[in-house]
Amino acid sequence: MKVHIDEIKCSGHGRCAKYAPEVFRLSDDDGYNADRGQTIDVPAAEEKNAAIGIRSCPERAITVVAE
Amino acid sequence: MSDDATVVPVDPETTPDALIERFGRDLVNDFDLDDPAFNEKFDETLNFMVRKCPVVHSKVGRGYYLINTQDDVRAAAQNWQTFSSAKGYMPNRPEGLPYLMPEESDPPIHTRWRAKLNPHLSPKTVATYEQAVRDDVNELIDRFIDRGSCEFISEFGALLPGWAFFKNVLGLPIDDLAMLVNGVEEGTFHPDLSERARHFAEVFGYLENHLKWRATQPSRGDLIDTILAGVTYDDGTESPWEHKVSILVDLTFGGIATTTFVMGSAIHHLATHSDQRELLIGDPSLIENAIEEYARFFPPVVGLGRTTTRDVEVSGTTIKEGEFVILTYACASRDPRHMEEPEKIDVRREGIPHSTFGVGPHRCIGSNLARVELTATLEEWLKRIPEFRVKAGTEPTYVTGYLRSMRTLQLEW
Repeated sequence: MKVHIDEIKCSGHGRCAKYAPEVFRLSDDDGYNADRGQTIDVPAAEEKNAAIGIRSCPERAITVVAE
Repeated sequence: MSDDATVVPVDPETTPDALIERFGRDLVNDFDLDDPAFNEKFDETLNFMVRKCPVVHSKVGRGYYLINTQDDVRAAAQNWQTFSSAKGYMPNRPEGLPYLMPEESDPPIHTRWRAKLNPHLSPKTVATYEQAVRDDVNELIDRFIDRGSCEFISEFGALLPGWAFFKNVLGLPIDDLAMLVNGVEEGTFHPDLSERARHFAEVFGYLENHLKWRATQPSRGDLIDTILAGVTYDDGTESPWEHKVSILVDLTFGGIATTTFVMGSAIHHLATHSDQRELLIGDPSLIENAIEEYARFFPPVVGLGRTTTRDVEVSGTTIKEGEFVILTYACASRDPRHMEEPEKIDVRREGIPHSTFGVGPHRCIGSNLARVELTATLEEWLKRIPEFRVKAGTEPTYVTGYLRSMRTLQLEW
């Protein structure tokens, strides 16, 4: 699975990395998603955690992209 | 052909008569955040509005709208071009109150300040305060544990957020906390708008003096020094002194006036639900998720406002340019379109899409610190006072406007 993190919508809530720390990384500097504006891979074993992280984002900033 | 197909059916529950019967006023056309009935029927009103009234209007003062569904709140919060913060977040804003940067500004001014301020309250930074906050939790509990009772708000809930913020972030003396807490409370909830302005002015005066004093001191490299250093706006001008003072005011409002309500409500919920105490004591790893659920269900910020920069349609209602619109975060966090049984507290929910810390670029800058305070509180409290209850014959008391606050909570064990 691949997901895209919207560069503008991400506002630093940090929920994605709380629930799926193996998938989503926060910037050490400001705590926003370190990969915002990027499309990243989600390992199969992490898909359930990633889904909770995605669902927890108040901005709906993370979307699953078709491969 | 009949015209029936174009007529939107009116839900009998939302006719003015039905609303007056149930809530004491016509919520749809004449809502009032400061109505004592809203304070008393808080949960019922939120649950009703998010289901039945996507947009409501208020005739109070200069008038305002509330938008209530999660989709509408998110869309408006992310669209600062149409829903501007530059005219303030308070409905019927007191005259003469300076705008609070960066909360009452739009990009790019807002963006310049947040880029400088965010690192001081990032997850990585606040993690370094965690042990100090935990020590403060225990110091406060030490003061009353042997007594077997406490008034939670004045003896714990109104102190810990101020201690955490003043000691670790601002370097302000905690001796002055009570005066500032009172100033912010009265400035927010006083029934007389001119009294609100007077109390806010006192808070401004105190914080400006502190900022002036810090400007004469060697740099500590802390948040205050970042404020004093200022930013350069896109037109090449340097941020003026008044903006710097207002930032310190804005951060202080947020840092001392909000987390108390989530804390008090969570402790009240646990005091009245022994099964929930046992659940969290048996598996403390649930506490972090429980805090998200408590934050969702017990929102200290009912909603914050924007001003429309053009005519805009929201769920079928046209809102004209220049209107004041509250984004009702408290309703958005209970939207049944986005979660099962939102009127129930369930600490095991998987993924809690709540709006308690706001949505969009103005997301609460202190959200990471609030979570540290709440986690330390529940973990330490349940270890040290696993059995507790509301004092017999008492009930917690509340006050509500665009914020909601718990005034008293008597506990015993």
